[in-house]
Amino acid sequence: MGFTDFFTDVVSSLGFAEAQAEAPAADVETSSTPQDEPAEKTEEATEESESAEETPSEESSEEAPEEEEAPAEEEEEEEEEEEEEEEDEPEDIKPKLEEDCANSAKCAPYKHHYDECVERVTRQEEEGDDFKGVKEDCVEEFFHLTHCATACAAPKLWRELK
Amino acid sequence: MLARSLLRVPNRAIARQSLGKSTRASSTAAGAESASSPFHLTLTASLATAAAAGSAAWYYHLYGQEAFASTPAEEGLHPTQYPWVHQRFNKTFDHAALRRGFQVYREVCASCHSLTRVPWRSFVGVMHTVDEMKTMAEENEYDTEPNDQGDIEQRPGKLSDYIPAPYKNDEAARAANAGALPPDLSLIVKGRHGGCDYIFNLLTGYPDEAPAGAAVAEGMNFNPYFPGTGIAMGRVLFDGVVEYEDGTPATTSQMAKDVVEFLNWAAEPEMDDRKKMGVKAIAVLSGLFAISVWVKRYKWAPIKSRKIVYSPPIGPRR
Repeated sequence: MGFTDFFTDVVSSLGFAEAQAEAPAADVETSSTPQDEPAEKTEEATEESESAEETPSEESSEEAPEEEEAPAEEEEEEEEEEEEEEEDEPEDIKPKLEEDCANSAKCAPYKHHYDECVERVTRQEEEGDDFKGVKEDCVEEFFHLTHCATACAAPKLWRELK
Repeated sequence: MLARSLLRVPNRAIARQSLGKSTRASSTAAGAESASSPFHLTLTASLATAAAAGSAAWYYHLYGQEAFASTPAEEGLHPTQYPWVHQRFNKTFDHAALRRGFQVYREVCASCHSLTRVPWRSFVGVMHTVDEMKTMAEENEYDTEPNDQGDIEQRPGKLSDYIPAPYKNDEAARAANAGALPPDLSLIVKGRHGGCDYIFNLLTGYPDEAPAGAAVAEGMNFNPYFPGTGIAMGRVLFDGVVEYEDGTPATTSQMAKDVVEFLNWAAEPEMDDRKKMGVKAIAVLSGLFAISVWVKRYKWAPIKSRKIVYSPPIGPRR
């Protein structure tokens, strides 16, 4: 990126530039039917090289926190099974991150209030018609807990995603 | 100098005498009697101050606190902020993510949601090649102009056509979705409070079960981020719904992130150019500023470096 590139950029922004949307000329020489495939490949080549670089590092980073957070051997075994399954169907890390966050000390007060509310409301539902008092729900407590958990998990989640 | 200062002293003494005792130089210490002004002098100012403070307090009492009638459930949970890379002022869209997001839209969202303001041509050079987009456009049929007999025929799509909607009109969309209208997604990122964060949270925020005691109407789903918490759209993104062509693991959050970034592109496709233009403006304007500083120094050089000398006329000595 030299200083002259700045001027070429300025010139290209003035509107008499050529749209570079066509597939590279080398592909046009080949027959018309497989033309789409090499065109895709050349476009994706950069993307694929990027993804190829990123995927192993992503997998390793996905494994790292799991191993740290699982001191018990049983859990590790379970996770290994999950990882085997991941080859077929990828496992989303978001619910796990948010559950860890909800159980962390940061969200403990919200978790406490929510659990207490759930207990109270389920008891109230069990009593049914006999219950006399204000009917309530746990939506507000749920909001507070969810907000705390997602806010705590947000940066961790973004580190894992592409 | 000495003669002048000697002259000045009697003048000042005379002036002070003529004004009377009440005047004093500001540097002298205030006397006890002059510090407290008589009550009748400060009455008006005191009353005005009290009235000003009182009316401000009254206004705050009447209008200061905003009336907020919604319960938290009606308001909906405010979206959690995520550190979107493309929203930083010096970052562009991740075009590989845009491509994945379009795939998610085509395979998941497009069955209900339209994207009517986006033509096929706008993808060309952004995430797809011309040939790819031509084949995609040709998969759809569009009305032709009336022919010689006045009949409207069908033709395969062209790059200049817009992405077709899944339903003929809003009524058909409502009828197919139990009365709920799936909104058009072309400008949805701009059209919702919270933008990208809101949509990402909405897509991934369906809890396994609604919190205890929450009322969920029939045919509705509980989603904390949707105002009112009852949303007609069920959870659509599950792990592995889409198989990405670039091999990215298609987890729920990955798909949601990609499709949100794609919808942000659909809403403001000019973003990359806008940021590039901003950097250009900074470069040009800072260059002009630097030039103006040098020109100022050049123009002011004679003024700054001149020396004013007063040489009094040489007169006869007294």
